[in-house]
Amino acid sequence: MSNEVEETMKRIQSHKGVVGTIVVNSEGIPIKTTLDNTTTVQYAGLISSLADKARSVVRDLDPSNDLTFLRIRSKKHEIMVAPDKEFILIVVQNPTD
Amino acid sequence: MDVILDRPKASMSDRRAELERKKAKLQALREEKDRRRREKELKDVEEATSRTIMGGGGDRKELDDLLREVGVAPVSDVFSSISSANSLTPEHSRNHTPDTSLQPNSLPNNVIAVKKKVPQLTVVPVQSTNIPPKEVVLYTKQTQTTTTGHDVRDAHATDYYVLTYDDGQEGEEEENSLPHLGGGYGSKLPPGILPHGLPQVKEVRPAVTQLEQEQNKKEEQKEVRELSEEEKQMIILSEDFQHFVDRAGRIMERALCESIDIYMDYTGGLGDDGLDEKSHQRISLNRHFFDERWSRNRTVTSLDWSPQFPELLLASYNNNEELPNDPDGVVLVWNTKYKKATPEYIFHCQSAVLSATFARFHPNLILGGTYSGQIVLWDNRVQKRTPIQRTPLSASAHTHPVYCMSVVGTQNAHNLISISTDGRLCSWSLDMLGQPQEILDLHRAQTKPAAVTCLDFPHSDVNNFVVGSEEGAAYSACRHGAKAGVTDTYDGHQGPVTGVSVNAVQGGIDFSHMFLTSSIDWTIKLWSLKDSKPMYSFEDNGDYVLDVKWSPCHPALFASVDGGGRLDLWNLNQDTEVPAASALVGGGAALNKVSWAPSGLQITVGDGQGKIWVYDVAENFAHPRHDEWNKFLYTTQELRNNQVDDELEKLNYSGSSQSSISMTALTSTPLR
Repeated sequence: MSNEVEETMKRIQSHKGVVGTIVVNSEGIPIKTTLDNTTTVQYAGLISSLADKARSVVRDLDPSNDLTFLRIRSKKHEIMVAPDKEFILIVVQNPTD
Repeated sequence: MDVILDRPKASMSDRRAELERKKAKLQALREEKDRRRREKELKDVEEATSRTIMGGGGDRKELDDLLREVGVAPVSDVFSSISSANSLTPEHSRNHTPDTSLQPNSLPNNVIAVKKKVPQLTVVPVQSTNIPPKEVVLYTKQTQTTTTGHDVRDAHATDYYVLTYDDGQEGEEEENSLPHLGGGYGSKLPPGILPHGLPQVKEVRPAVTQLEQEQNKKEEQKEVRELSEEEKQMIILSEDFQHFVDRAGRIMERALCESIDIYMDYTGGLGDDGLDEKSHQRISLNRHFFDERWSRNRTVTSLDWSPQFPELLLASYNNNEELPNDPDGVVLVWNTKYKKATPEYIFHCQSAVLSATFARFHPNLILGGTYSGQIVLWDNRVQKRTPIQRTPLSASAHTHPVYCMSVVGTQNAHNLISISTDGRLCSWSLDMLGQPQEILDLHRAQTKPAAVTCLDFPHSDVNNFVVGSEEGAAYSACRHGAKAGVTDTYDGHQGPVTGVSVNAVQGGIDFSHMFLTSSIDWTIKLWSLKDSKPMYSFEDNGDYVLDVKWSPCHPALFASVDGGGRLDLWNLNQDTEVPAASALVGGGAALNKVSWAPSGLQITVGDGQGKIWVYDVAENFAHPRHDEWNKFLYTTQELRNNQVDDELEKLNYSGSSQSSISMTALTSTPLR
């Protein structure tokens, strides 16, 4: 089963323009990453708190609603966040590539 | 005896005397009691009167004491001076207010003093009730001063907040209530000296919270470092994690492949001349599906579309001879809607899958017919790639490869029909794959079994169907009735039949008796169920024709693929000699299967190397005009007449097989 996880990670990573893939748990601790350690820790901490904030925004606006996906488009990158109950998948891609 | 007799007499008199005595005694007692009661009452009255007198004095003493406590000492003196006036009415002394209100007229000098003091007396008990809260206030002040004085504080967030709010309020009070401290003391005096300094408190508190935050940050960083490889591995192996990666990965891939540029600027953009180029073509390559790991070197054995999700394409694959350790049979579900290049679902099983179909009324189930003869069932809700159910390998079911399967019926009554190459037809209930509900052996010429390679049911028919066989013949057959089994034989091909397709287009005229067969003899033949001779033979191909399919929406359009890698689209209303559109797919690899998307606007082709090619069909070409049905009727009639011409000398006009429709068409057409 774990090789399916590897497979999925590899597939995502092999997409054109993907810079890095990180899986973070609910406490913002990286579990799997394709980036170097410092970048990973930085992304993990910042994105997980942003995702938490975004989720609370969505839930405050409508308690029956929930956050499902978060895309942050910047000049250099696009950060895509797929949050879940326990984990967060973060993919950083370079859309211009 | 006398004594005995006398005794009662004596006792009688004695008793009488005794009774008299007792009565007198009782009387005396009663009188005594009455007297005592009277005395007591008198005493009580006396006591009460004396008590009231004494009580008045006592009250006064108490009041004096109270006043003295408060600090108003001279009251008793004043009272003694006016006692002469008050003693006249001792009972009234209790009610001071009316008393004093009555007095001012008689005692003008003392009245002022009395007036001043007496209201204070009445107020005193009220004040005494007010004192406790004041004491509480003082107490809280004490606690505050001690807490503010302390440098060490609780780490609890709630404590911290409560204290700051209290402090702010109390601090203001303190400032007002303690004028001796003066203004600006906090700024002038060093922070360590003044325990009551409020600005000091305000400065210290935020510093503590910052420290706390820093501590938290440090803890988090520590936790990051703490997560060891083993812990990570544990999380990765947990089912929750696997589920998450599966789900999130799927979404992420779709999101990644979405190449729509939301920053498109049309003001300076170039015209899309690519589209113009495309619109001239009747078919154009859209994309291809290929998975390096799962579909490489595997022949596509069947293609099917999901009835619930028209973008989902199911493809089954044969074994990969280069990798004998991999599972023989693979089934992949592809998504034509998203641009992601990886399969939506991957399933496999031990035997090569020769046919696969969505379980039409169960959107989650996928059925596969295998080389071993087993029917296998996968469920995409289960986190498992291997079948969740399979039929047994027994003589009561299939023991030969199952090349064709179909789910027929309605939502509430449907069956899976599977036919193996020994001609055995099994009908299954999806709830019970333990054994088939019905078994029917298809025979040609009494005893020899028909080696069935392909199957097609006319639209919404559950009983009659058409099969193609290895012998080169096609058969029509029915499942039920007195003559269950093969009803008619359509002999015409020189080699095994590879594909069969019944016209399924609904419209003004029913063409469901028309079917096509493709064969290894390089030809495609058009048949009518009513005629045992082919209506027409398409002989344009220069290789094995491996599959043929009618369009789901155009009555005269069909697609065929051959071993030379050619995809042909025939529009019989335009031309019957040459295909209306053709494409050499990929690098010319043999094309094994062809399938139309339910919309009729896309056509997919599976080749021998594991690639599936998706072609877009131009809308004006794929969609029929309203007169296409009549035109097709005309065309079929023309084809028949040609056939008649060819066999004219034999005078073998098979008029009996002509349908009534075609008869009317014959009379209406001016041809020949």
